[in-house]
Amino acid sequence: MNNGDILMGVNLSKKYSNLEVVKDVSLNVKEGEFVSLVGKSGCGKTTLLSLLSGLEKPTKGQVTLNSKDITGATEEELALFRREYVGFIFQSFNLIPTLSAWENVALPLFPIKMSNDQRRKRAIELLEQMEMGPRIEHLPAALSGGEKQRVAIARALANHPKIVFADEPTGNLDSATGDAIMAILSELHKKQGMTMLMVTHEPELAKTADRVIRMQDGEVMK
Amino acid sequence: MNYIYIWKEIRHHRHRTLVNVLGIAVGIALFVSINAVSDAYQKAISLPFKNIGADIVVQRAEKRSLDAAQAPASMRGIRLPFSNQILSSQDMEKLKTISGIDAMATSLLLWEFEKGGFKTIMGVDLTAPSLGPIKVKDWLAQGRFPAKTGEAVLEKHFAKFHKVKLKDTIMIGGHSFNVVGLLEIKEGSQVASANIYLPLADAQSLLAGTTGNINTVYLHMKNPAQIDEIKRQISKTLSGITVTSSDSFLELMGGMSQISSQFSLVVSLVALAGAFFLIIKTMIGNLVERSREIGILKAVGWTNSDVQKQLMGETFLQSVMGGVAGIAAGYLISYLLGYLSIPVSTPWELNLTPAFAKDAATAVKTIRLPVSFSAGLMAAALVLSLFAGGLASYFMGRRMSKMKPVDILRRL
Ligand SMILES: Nc1ncnc2c1ncn2[C@@H]1O[C@H](COP(=O)(O)OP(=O)(O)OP(=O)(O)O)[C@@H](O)[C@H]1O
Ligand SMILES: [Mg+2]
Repeated sequence: MNNGDILMGVNLSKKYSNLEVVKDVSLNVKEGEFVSLVGKSGCGKTTLLSLLSGLEKPTKGQVTLNSKDITGATEEELALFRREYVGFIFQSFNLIPTLSAWENVALPLFPIKMSNDQRRKRAIELLEQMEMGPRIEHLPAALSGGEKQRVAIARALANHPKIVFADEPTGNLDSATGDAIMAILSELHKKQGMTMLMVTHEPELAKTADRVIRMQDGEVMK
Repeated sequence: MNYIYIWKEIRHHRHRTLVNVLGIAVGIALFVSINAVSDAYQKAISLPFKNIGADIVVQRAEKRSLDAAQAPASMRGIRLPFSNQILSSQDMEKLKTISGIDAMATSLLLWEFEKGGFKTIMGVDLTAPSLGPIKVKDWLAQGRFPAKTGEAVLEKHFAKFHKVKLKDTIMIGGHSFNVVGLLEIKEGSQVASANIYLPLADAQSLLAGTTGNINTVYLHMKNPAQIDEIKRQISKTLSGITVTSSDSFLELMGGMSQISSQFSLVVSLVALAGAFFLIIKTMIGNLVERSREIGILKAVGWTNSDVQKQLMGETFLQSVMGGVAGIAAGYLISYLLGYLSIPVSTPWELNLTPAFAKDAATAVKTIRLPVSFSAGLMAAALVLSLFAGGLASYFMGRRMSKMKPVDILRRL
């Protein structure tokens, strides 16, 4: 069963009341692989990502992440699981407006037993990696879109995740800034061997990935 | 728990914090001031008796006296007040048989009618210095208290009105007395407020043809809780007697004073519950506004109990601030109300001046509300504000646990 696959989704379905948004999807991601998921708006990409990342439970099917079957996990178990293995990057950044850049990066570390100095050290290290060193004390409102997304990427990495899920990470950015963010993600994959599953609807961006998976009407195209 | 985040949330959402803190503060301030003022009323009413150290006063009123509200034109010289007829030695013997009485003092109250008006004369028992009208001894403004026969102390305002000074002599019932002292009656002491104070024996000798008479008895109880029981016993043992206590003032007063302390506690708790209800509603409203934030926390791996701790930290801080502000405001309100004077009407039997006297104001004395700051009330208020915080976190926690992290994925 374990042939280098870090993420396995088997016969996944998701229904919202009567509407089946994800239909019997099976999908594997290998460790160190960069996979992109493309498809028209509304075809179920975000829903599939939420099932695979343990944000939401499938109506049917099974998810195994890092050799752990998370299908039957409770909400609290899923939270702990995400804390340990998963990083998220969102289209709309989702930073906490009251917290500074470094505190946002340290957010996943707050519930973990460690000193504030350690949290701060880890956050600053990541922000410097994102070339955000001079902005560690800034609030999100004082940052540009591209800078916000850099903070969000740093946050996704704070807990040393096994896999990073990104849902249209450049969707809210102009093309130049988007390209810069894509370059960061691509480098993360190439240099650090980060496993990534990225949702996008831009075929150009999808090409950066090792493998492109296409979705249509809730199904994965062969 | 993360103090940085708690503090930043509190500080950053100043409006939100202010509304919550103010809400708790208003509730707590109401609670504190209602209870403090109600306590003060109870205290104000007990003041007249407390000031003379007595629990019960015993008198014998003239039977037909209740309708004698006009001055008989023929009245001249020394006479007994209608409400204070002589208590016989048999009366005194019977009183002594009643158990539960700790101390007993007597006095003789006299009126002297002259052409232009009247004087009230109190003969005080110098042998019981902590009970009855002898307590006025503590309020000397000038001079000293009578030590031997032929000496008198005058109430300051009376002395001034009649232009009598220290060391002057004054005629009472045809006898001359040396003025050895002037005193000022303490607020709320109308039960002891006469114009002239004499040693008991001197007062007794003013009543022509009799000796050793007294017409008022002051009792101090071993156990104040027994007052009602002993009052009942006295009325049963001695017929035709008037027995009064602090309650007699209470019965005369309306408004706040009739509200028992239990009732005001209930009222203040209801006010508090109303304020808390609104605050909890607002806090839950705030939480719903923050559902995206909660979703982010959960997405990055915060469990429900991690989020709950954060919310509890925030509400705890706000309820402490609200509690402290509320206690301060409550005491400020009570303190300001302490400048108000409340009218305390004196029961007829205890009013030392003739009921027909023009000087009607003497029957209704005002007392400044004796507001005090009790540690118990303060502690209760603080506990209640923390309880509000706990209640709010409980309901917020229930609401928060229903918020799904996945919802943030579809928000822009
Ligand atoms: N909570 C929900 N209740 C009902 N329907 C939902 C819910 N969430 C998503 N849907 C529906 O599921 C379908 C797929 O949504 P999803 O967000 O996965 O699409 P997507 O491929 O990510 O689209 P986009 O590219 O626009 O982000 C849509 O038709 C959407 O309306
Ligand atoms: Mg989507």
